[in-house]
Amino acid sequence: MRTKTCLVVDDSKMIRRVASRILKDLKFATKEAENGQEAIDRCRVNMPDAILLDWNMPVMDGLDFLKELRKEPSGDKPVVVFCTAERDVLKISQALDAGADEYVMKPFDSDIIESKFYQAGLI
Amino acid sequence: MSAVLSLNPTYYEALKRLTLELAGVNLGSDHAFLIETRLSSLSRKEGFKSLDEMVEELFKSGQSNLAVKIVSSLLERDTHFYTDRESLDKIENVILPALYPIRKGGKIQILSFGCSSGQEAYCIAMALDKAKDKFPDTTFEVIGVDYPSTALDRARAGRYTHFEAQRGLPIRDLITYFDRQAEDWVVKDHIRKMVRFEEAHLLSKLDTLGQFDIVVFRNALPHYSSPAQVRVLRGLSTLVKPLSYLLLGTHETLNHINFGFDPLPKEPHIFIRREAKVQIIEDPNIKKPSDRKTFEKAKRRLKDISDMRA
Repeated sequence: MRTKTCLVVDDSKMIRRVASRILKDLKFATKEAENGQEAIDRCRVNMPDAILLDWNMPVMDGLDFLKELRKEPSGDKPVVVFCTAERDVLKISQALDAGADEYVMKPFDSDIIESKFYQAGLI
Repeated sequence: MSAVLSLNPTYYEALKRLTLELAGVNLGSDHAFLIETRLSSLSRKEGFKSLDEMVEELFKSGQSNLAVKIVSSLLERDTHFYTDRESLDKIENVILPALYPIRKGGKIQILSFGCSSGQEAYCIAMALDKAKDKFPDTTFEVIGVDYPSTALDRARAGRYTHFEAQRGLPIRDLITYFDRQAEDWVVKDHIRKMVRFEEAHLLSKLDTLGQFDIVVFRNALPHYSSPAQVRVLRGLSTLVKPLSYLLLGTHETLNHINFGFDPLPKEPHIFIRREAKVQIIEDPNIKKPSDRKTFEKAKRRLKDISDMRA
């Protein structure tokens, strides 16, 4: 079976590392990007199966990235799971309206990531 | 990695045996760690200086209330929302389409047996709320039942931590059916009104709970000892109305003891209770624990151990 790929987008190196480790345990091959612009550039080269996406980042934030991604050819394919400190219900609704498939509120643990990826049909 | 354990070593086996005899549940090989983690907070809550002091008091005084609290704490399951979703979906897709034409216009009562902190009961209520247009003119009531415990108190409060709320619960369900209150998420009133919780000793006579259209008892049976499985299934057979349903976990079955239930064709974990009263024949070789006597026996056994040590 083909190994699924996940792009971890977060401006915190520590969060990227922790998330990547959890995703590797879930048998994903991971790549990292530290803002939305870098993420969109990576997606244009190789569209991943899943994207774990922070909201507040410099250069291009998560919401703008998601809107750009969905306009790209094959940009509707990746399952996007927001992973952010934003907990406001209006913000969550905004993310879902923009095309997010699931939503993780920080702080998170491996159980939550696994559960959300399961909900999103990734595992 | 070995954990640092604080309790007098003789108490671990005594508590494990007490749990087996009172509730029919075997705590398993990691029981020492479980006892430490689950009972430390209970001992503080009950006003004891240490876990040792609480357990000494239990076996010295034989307080049955304290015994029930301790065993209930040891039995608390780490439940997630939508655990074994495949079996839960059968309520909407298999059981209700069969029950609804018969019960339409009335009330359908669903029992979540061994409900712990209430996630299963609320998941059923949320699923029924989503499916309400498929089953109009009918009232649904979900009843969660379990031993009296802090988990049951939390179920009644319908309040879940940031971590609990995210385990298993899709984000759309979270924002539709929960309100955020500080760091927690609380079940909205219209769902809480569909659900109530009751205390019961799951191995006792359960007639006072009434009878239900669907009894949900998933993924707990393997934790019980063989004699306790017989007791709990016998109790369940009195809780299901004739021609109504018992739902087990996806990979569970009743094996050779049917207690008046027949499995649905193609759905081996859903059982319908036969209409006729069935005489249950029990194996006389299976030992049946009796709550009070077994607790007294556990006390005597611990006293013997203490005398030997002295």
